[in-house]
Amino acid sequence: MSRRWLVLLAALVTLAALGWSARPQPLTASERVDRISAELRCPVCQGLSVQDSPSETARNMRDLVEARVAAGRTDEQIRDEFRRSYGDWILLSPPLLSPSGLVWIGPVAAVLFGALLALRALRKTRAPVGGAAAEPTAAEIAGLRAQVARDDGA
Amino acid sequence: MTRLARYAAVLCIVGLMVVLTLSFKHDPHDIRTGTVGKSAPAFDAPALAGPVRISLDGYRGKVIVLNFWASWCVPCKEENPALTQVWERYRGSDVVLLGVVFQDLPDAARAYTAHLGNTWPSALDPDGRIALSYGVVGPPETFFIGPDGIIAGRHLGPIDADTLITAIETLRPAARK
Repeated sequence: MSRRWLVLLAALVTLAALGWSARPQPLTASERVDRISAELRCPVCQGLSVQDSPSETARNMRDLVEARVAAGRTDEQIRDEFRRSYGDWILLSPPLLSPSGLVWIGPVAAVLFGALLALRALRKTRAPVGGAAAEPTAAEIAGLRAQVARDDGA
Repeated sequence: MTRLARYAAVLCIVGLMVVLTLSFKHDPHDIRTGTVGKSAPAFDAPALAGPVRISLDGYRGKVIVLNFWASWCVPCKEENPALTQVWERYRGSDVVLLGVVFQDLPDAARAYTAHLGNTWPSALDPDGRIALSYGVVGPPETFFIGPDGIIAGRHLGPIDADTLITAIETLRPAARK
């Protein structure tokens, strides 16, 4: 087997191993509780998640998440329950399709708009001043040739 | 500067002004809740005073003033005279004053009500589920529930008698129908 084939085989095996390890794996109930708690804001804290806060409110919220996971609710249903009580504010990352989603959409829109302006400005600077140069007429060429001949004779 | 860039700059400034105006109008203490304008979450919880249970459904058709309080909460003590006034004024009518004990020990809560002479019913909420279902941030918080079971309003912090009576009287005509 040539060296090239060996390298190709090694690359394929590596890719397959990476793909296998990156496959979506079912989370345990405890991992789901941790993940959802990390997405929820502790209402009595300053910028802390329910997962990170030691407050009693956060503990109650975590217990509720745990109970809902045990009851077979989906992550979305659990998040929605808290959103119904506290609004989108309770999610540390506001959903895209909500008034709070402007936090995500605003900067992207601003960057796109800026890029558009930059592109326009760039096009303008590259465009030749006064438009493209017109082709010289036969008379102009003849005149120039005569000028060159005169200069050479001088 | 091109015309488009000028328009963009003006648009950005106007947008910023609008966002700032709206932000300054908003009371920073008024943390949003998702429950106002929606059905009041039902609950059936043990009463602080005794072996009976308090169920929200039992008060359907009445104006309910639902007050979250705790014995360790200083502003709760501040608002207690206003609650007492409202309780005495509307006792036995189509208006109900209900308390919910927020993150407190039952014995401490009982001692608090005995000390202040509060006689309106209060429900225990040992696992905080009632508070979470209403989107409570911290006591005192007061919710006004109409006879249709919809939460008509919410007050954060200590409440005074005028605010209580105004909110109750706004909801009472619907209760009398």
